[in-house]
Parts: sequence; structure tokens; C-alpha cells
Amino acid sequence: MYRFVEHTAELELEFEAGTPEGVFEEARRAFEELAGTGGGEIVERPVALDARDLPALLAAWLDELVFLADTEGLVAESATLALEGTRLSGTVRGRRGEPRPLVKGVTLHRLRFAQENAVWCGRVVLDV
Amino acid sequence: MSEAQLVRIDSTTWEIPATARADMRVPARFFADEEILAAIRGDRSLEQLQNVATLPGVVGAAVAMPDIHQGYGFPVGGVAATELPDGVVSPGGVGYDINCGVRLLALPLSESELGERREGLVHSISREIPAGAGKHGVLHLGGGSLDAVLKDGPQALPGVRADDVAHTESEGRLDGADPAAVSERAHVRGRDQLGTMGSGNHFVELQMVQEVMDAETARIFGLAPGQLTILIHSGSRGLGHQVCTDYVRTMDARLASYRIHLPDRQLACAPASSPEGRQYLAAMAAAANFAWANRQAIADGVRRAITSVLGRETAEATRQVYDVAHNVAKVEEYGGRRVCVHRKGATRAFPAGSPEIPAVYRAVGQPVFIPGSMGTASFVLAGEPGAMERSFGTTCHGAGRRLSRTAARKRIRGGELRRQLEASGIVVRCPSPKGLAEEAPFAYKDVDRVVRVVEDAGLARRVARLVPLGVVKG
Repeated sequence: MYRFVEHTAELELEFEAGTPEGVFEEARRAFEELAGTGGGEIVERPVALDARDLPALLAAWLDELVFLADTEGLVAESATLALEGTRLSGTVRGRRGEPRPLVKGVTLHRLRFAQENAVWCGRVVLDV
Repeated sequence: MSEAQLVRIDSTTWEIPATARADMRVPARFFADEEILAAIRGDRSLEQLQNVATLPGVVGAAVAMPDIHQGYGFPVGGVAATELPDGVVSPGGVGYDINCGVRLLALPLSESELGERREGLVHSISREIPAGAGKHGVLHLGGGSLDAVLKDGPQALPGVRADDVAHTESEGRLDGADPAAVSERAHVRGRDQLGTMGSGNHFVELQMVQEVMDAETARIFGLAPGQLTILIHSGSRGLGHQVCTDYVRTMDARLASYRIHLPDRQLACAPASSPEGRQYLAAMAAAANFAWANRQAIADGVRRAITSVLGRETAEATRQVYDVAHNVAKVEEYGGRRVCVHRKGATRAFPAGSPEIPAVYRAVGQPVFIPGSMGTASFVLAGEPGAMERSFGTTCHGAGRRLSRTAARKRIRGGELRRQLEASGIVVRCPSPKGLAEEAPFAYKDVDRVVRVVEDAGLARRVARLVPLGVVKG
């Protein structure tokens, strides 16, 4: 599950999932809603990310989605991901198009990735 | 922050003392009237300003303009000066859109002379200037020519007008720019985005000078009542966004090694004298130069549109009044101290006599442009001596948001807003109705009130008020 939280100028997003991998999937779904999907050719791109901790890895994942949308017009419609420690690898698949160019950057402000009871929670603020 | 911690210094100046929090090194000071203060207190912007006051090497005060609102790390409208050589530089204190800024063009034509060609001109501008992120510009820059732009800004573009360059802050070129400090990913994002507007609150607006408050300064700026102007708001596009991303990540990973403790991870920073600090400043300067080249390429597109609708003579006689950055860090001197001034949604506003101002404007002060919200007024200001004494040579940059994008969309649909704007005589071109609704005028503070505060505070004085005739949205 993902939801948009009120923020005066930027976009704050919260994610919840049963697994840490699920938080990355929720982040992908939220970005897909923001950017919109294209109707062009289907392409796959490999992903290999590393960060100093899980919150930073969540930011790096969204950075990657922003980069693919900005440079290739590619919005990931699905992802096959493996998480090992603070490394995320796998493949994203989506269509090329003209994504809505909203997100400038993925900030570390109020960044969060933690387990609460049985739920994995993430939070990120996007510069738009 | 409690009521007791907020101290009123004078009619427009408020302060949170450095004693308010154990980690603050200097006070947090801001400019506001009562109504603006109420809006400011509605979000986390003052907490963010206090966080800025904790940065290692910060001097004087963490300062905010009346258009302050909640951002990330720094509040939007925030200013911080850190003493060199070892005070920190914080990429988040500049923001992702490095050298986002505004450029004002003045046409040799009045609104009445434009007549029924208004709609055609706005449509022609929208055809010449790609809007939205990821859109490709008319210029594709290979490796060598992109690096030339990163080093020299608009001066690297073919056929650039000398008077445009002369009427640009820092002549559109920050020293120390190093393309090698800009990552390959940033290069990839930037190579075909020159001449594109981007999204969000970026725009090109056709305006008319509605009122002149300072006739002599307006004359020197080349502005007269009824005259047409075009205001361009854009930045460094994906290239600048990537530079900020890269260096926030780098500095975040190095905080412990510099024994820096921060209340907010997005304030990630490093001593300006450190390898990371020097590299960031070199990359930021390159991205700033790219942004000035981008606004130059957009201005060229505007002149092509003017040529097609109003003729070549009118396009050639369209002058650039000035171009100012409102997201940048610059090395300046105040009170004998050499400091790195971070301006995050804030505009340099040097007073008369500054050698940094083009000679033609030196007697009256640096031009500053304050876009209002879409459908309301914008202002031309001139820098005043109070800015040097109170705000590190800085004034506001806009009206400042007061409602979130979601809240704005809940209040109005893009189509309805378009009808309202067009009913008031404003031609609108926007690729996204959703994006249009998010920038609705009621989502912003009252720009007249904001500029009155900076004038009362002695930071800048009002020169002219501009009203929109047409807007091309990103």
C-alpha cells in the first residue's frame, strides 16, 4: 500500500508492505501513478543498486526509476527484484512513452525504512 | 517551537534565538507580517530553518524570506552563509534544480499594439519551447559541446547576443565549473534537454507592465507602463537534478568521517575545503552554467516565436532586462568574512554601487524578478543596501506556496481553472490539466504582500508590477 501525505511544496509518500521487497514494489507503483505509463515498445532494463542502509536504498531505487523515465521515457510497469542486505538487483520492465515529468529528485528528508510489528514501512519526500 | 521562543525584532523581522535548541549555532531569522507569519506557522518551515542554523560554519543567522515554505532540508526561501574555508557546503541548500531562475525580456511593443495577435504569440511560444520533463530540446549537445556549455554557460552557444550575456547574473558563467565533476548520468540527462522548460511551476509568461512605482529605475531597466514583457522560469533540468542527487548521496555517506551530526539527513554537507566540497562546488557551477544556457536557448525560442508573429525587427529589438538565479551557492564577502551563501528559493539583490551589477544598472541596484502565481501579478524589484546588512544580499523569489498540490487539485479542476483564466483574458497553454490545477493562484501567498514585506525590510524596492496576458506552462 502507498499513500500521498500532505506537504506544502513537495510530494511525501508512505509505503507499507509485508516484506522489505514489498516496500520497493509499492514505491514502483507510486512512481508509476505519478509518471503514467506509455504506450510504446516494451523494454527491460537491469538494475543493480547498493546503498549505505535500507532507507538510502529506497531513495536509490526511486532515483533509478526517475533516471529511466527522464532519459528513456521508460516507466517500470513491473520489477523482479532481489534484496540482499543493502543491495538491490533485478530487472524492470515497462513501456516507453512520455512520462509526466514531475519528479526532480528523491530527497533524504524524513526518509524512513523500518519494520513496525509485522509491517515494513517506508517514507520518502520527492522534489517536484 | 513555542510562542515564547519567537521574538519580534521590528515590524517585519522575527527571530528564534540560538538558545531555542541545543544544536543551533546561530539564530533563525525571517521576514514576515502577521498574515504571512500565520501561513508560515502552518507547516514545518520554521523547524527546517532552525535545522539550517545547526550547520557547521554557519554565521550571522539562518535567514528566510517572506515567501518561506516547507521544503526538504532547507526551507524554500532560506538563506545560509557558511564561513570559508572550512564551513560546510550543503547541496540540499541549493536544491535539485540548481540555478532555477528567471529571465525577463522586454519587447519594443505595448499591449495595445499587440492587439489580436496575443493568442497567436502565446501559441507560437508554446510550439517553440518543449515543456515537460524528458522533453528534448532543439539543441542536441554531444560530449564536447555539452562540456563547453558546462564550463562557459550561454557564452558557449552559437550566435549568443553579447547584450544578453552582459545582462545575466555573473554573465551566465560561474568560475570553477568542472565538467569532470559532473557524473556520466548527469551528462546523459543533460545532453538533449537544452532549451526545454521542464515541469512543475516552470513557465514562460507574456506580460504587460501594469504599474510603475519607481519611474527612474524603470526607465533605466527599459520598462514603461503598457509595455510587453516575457518572463522565463526554468532551471538546469535533469542534469542539475542528477548533480544534486549524486552529491547529497556522496556527502551523506561521508558525514561520520567529518564528525558532522545533522537533524535532517537531507542537509548532508561537507567542509567547502574538503575534496567532496570542492567537487560539489565545481559540479554545481557547471550545472548553474547549464541552466543559464538553458534559459538562453528558451529566450532564443521566444525570439523565434516573436519573429514568426510580429516580425524580425521586433524580435531583434526584444531586450533582455536581466536573468537571476534563485537556487545557487556563491562565494561572497560580508563584513570582511568570505562566505559561501546558499540561496534556496531566494534571489541575490545587490544594491546600487555593487561591481557585480551591469554598469548600466549600477546606479540603481540589481534587477530582481518575483513571479507571482499564475494569473496574478509579478514584480520587478531593485536591490537595496538593507539586503547587504540583513540577508547576505538576498531577497525573496516568488509568492511562496501555501497549499499543497493535492489540496489545490481538490479545490479546482484544470479545465475549470483554464476557463477562469481565459475569462479574465489570459491565454493558457499547458500539457497537463492536473499540473495546471496544482499551480492555481489560490495555492500561493499574496505576492503583493510578500514584496511589500521585503520593501519594508529594506531588502529590495518595488520598481514595476507586471500582469499576465498569456502563460505557457511546463
